[in-house]
Amino acid sequence: MTESNNDSGHEQGLICLDIKDAVKRFPSVTAVDRVSVQITEGEVFSLLGPSGCGKSTLLRLVAGLESLDQGSISIAGELVNELPPYKRDCSTVFQNHALFPHMTVAENIGFGLVERKLPKSEIKKKVTEKVDLVNLVGLENRYPDQLSGGQKQRVALARSLVLEPTVLLLDEPLAALDRKLRKEMQVELKRIQREVGTTFLNVTHDQKEALSLSDRIGVMRKGKLLQIGTPNQIYETPRTKFIATFMGATNIFLGRVVSERGDMVELEIENGSKVFAPLPDHVDIHSVTGFSVHPELIDIVAAKEKKSQTDPQKKTSFSGRIKEVLYQGDYSELTVSLDHLNMELSTFITRGSEYDTPDIREKQEVVVFWDSTDNNILLDD
Amino acid sequence: MKQKHNIVAKLLGGLSLLIYFFLWAPVIVIIVFSFSSNKYGTSWDGFTLNWYAALFNNADVKDALIRSLVIASITVVVSTIIGTITGYGLFKLHFRGKQFLRTSILLPIVFPSVVTGSALLVFFTRFIQIPLGYPSIIIAHIVFSSPLAVFVILGRMQRFDWSWEEAAMDLGATRFRTFWRVTGPMLLPAIAASAMLIFPWSFDDFVITYFVAGIGSTTLPIYVFSQLRFGATPVINTIGTLFVLLTMVALALMYFIQKKNESI
Repeated sequence: MTESNNDSGHEQGLICLDIKDAVKRFPSVTAVDRVSVQITEGEVFSLLGPSGCGKSTLLRLVAGLESLDQGSISIAGELVNELPPYKRDCSTVFQNHALFPHMTVAENIGFGLVERKLPKSEIKKKVTEKVDLVNLVGLENRYPDQLSGGQKQRVALARSLVLEPTVLLLDEPLAALDRKLRKEMQVELKRIQREVGTTFLNVTHDQKEALSLSDRIGVMRKGKLLQIGTPNQIYETPRTKFIATFMGATNIFLGRVVSERGDMVELEIENGSKVFAPLPDHVDIHSVTGFSVHPELIDIVAAKEKKSQTDPQKKTSFSGRIKEVLYQGDYSELTVSLDHLNMELSTFITRGSEYDTPDIREKQEVVVFWDSTDNNILLDD
Repeated sequence: MKQKHNIVAKLLGGLSLLIYFFLWAPVIVIIVFSFSSNKYGTSWDGFTLNWYAALFNNADVKDALIRSLVIASITVVVSTIIGTITGYGLFKLHFRGKQFLRTSILLPIVFPSVVTGSALLVFFTRFIQIPLGYPSIIIAHIVFSSPLAVFVILGRMQRFDWSWEEAAMDLGATRFRTFWRVTGPMLLPAIAASAMLIFPWSFDDFVITYFVAGIGSTTLPIYVFSQLRFGATPVINTIGTLFVLLTMVALALMYFIQKKNESI
């Protein structure tokens, strides 16, 4: 295993899964288009993206259920390109759990151990440990059709974990569960991962799941890995318009850099206004296409309340008119049409906050403002 | 409206009864007369088990019975193996001519048996030298039984969740072990169902067997036919009764296995 030295500020550690320039083509589409990523031991890495982005295919390439057209995959330093799934040191938790219907819970969990020719007593011991780990004590002799969705998923998890794989591959394991169950399972999953310390490679289309579960996230689209970072980085500083929209930063302004001021850049947007935003490291200012800002960071007051001019380097502000107020109970979602700009801004007002005044209603003229440091630079897709 | 409904229902009911009667009457007559002491087995003269005793002492009958059983057993085994492997190949592999193969597999059972029988006879005697007797009969039976096995097993595979196989391999089982521990057991009800279909089919077959049997190789159906030409004897009734019994047992078994097949 080699030392990891990636650029997303992640802790140094041993690389247990190394994917280099992986390509997988199908007759009608290139599912995985030159993807490279290094996963460190013990981390939870999520591949996040919309349906069809190639994340499941990438997972299957690691598992050996699909074969690479180009590139290489190494698990624990060993090149696995040519190895069939049963020789690879990784295990998959399938979306439909794929439990063997003609075997009990205990037999399902012990399946891989039987293949490894372990003695019966040891198999029993290991199975019992894992049954306890996933909270299924008492259900060992049940058959899969006697279990609930959440229980089935836990059996699938135990079945893979009992083999103590270098990497555990999870293919949208919670997608088939209902919302409440999904939240419970997310907590369970996190607890189990912390307890066993196994490296998780998780595939999901659910941003919230990725944010709460992962140490790092890789956003994929149309076969390409667009950005890798911690949940904070991916959420707060999405690098492209697609990622920003995907993560909920729906306020996107297009513009070009006109000058640099220290660690900020000055952008000129559509109507000629100037906006300041922090310039991230290693970014070429010529590839900047605009900036985004999350709705929850935007403050709003009635126009008549706003008195003084603000320093654009500190605060970005626009005037506009409230187009729509969507009451959601604990917060309201506002759509504001900005003056002189062909754009609608989205913002939230939490119930009971200082901005939750009777002035905030439809057709009201308002001023929206926020810290310029919250402006997130966007690059070419 | 309801009145009319009732009359129609009653008429249809009556018609069904008539049909069932015609279906079962000959069979019931044979079963009843197999216990009759009438010399020709054509009317009721009194209860007797003589004819069954005579049957068990008849060397020709025993010979034909054994031949039929052997042929049916071998046919079942080979046909189900061919059926499983073919089903697997047709389902998982993609090759040119696959669609053609898939439809043409059913031809042997679609052709009239007289056509198949005579074609096979010509094939065995003129094209390749297959001795008429056990070899020719068994091959002929496999020819018309394998399509059935393919059909049943392929049908099961359509409803099969292949992620089980992926999961098994992912957990460390080689392709063989995966078949042994997962796919095989899951396919077993379908394999058994096709076996239960093929056994009576092969055992009862007359037309094709008659064409390819040659001299001296008598299966039970052929024996019965040859006996009938000398005039009816009660032994025919006894054999007929046993036939019906055997087939019903096989069908009952098949029914229960099919139920298990569907519940998975």
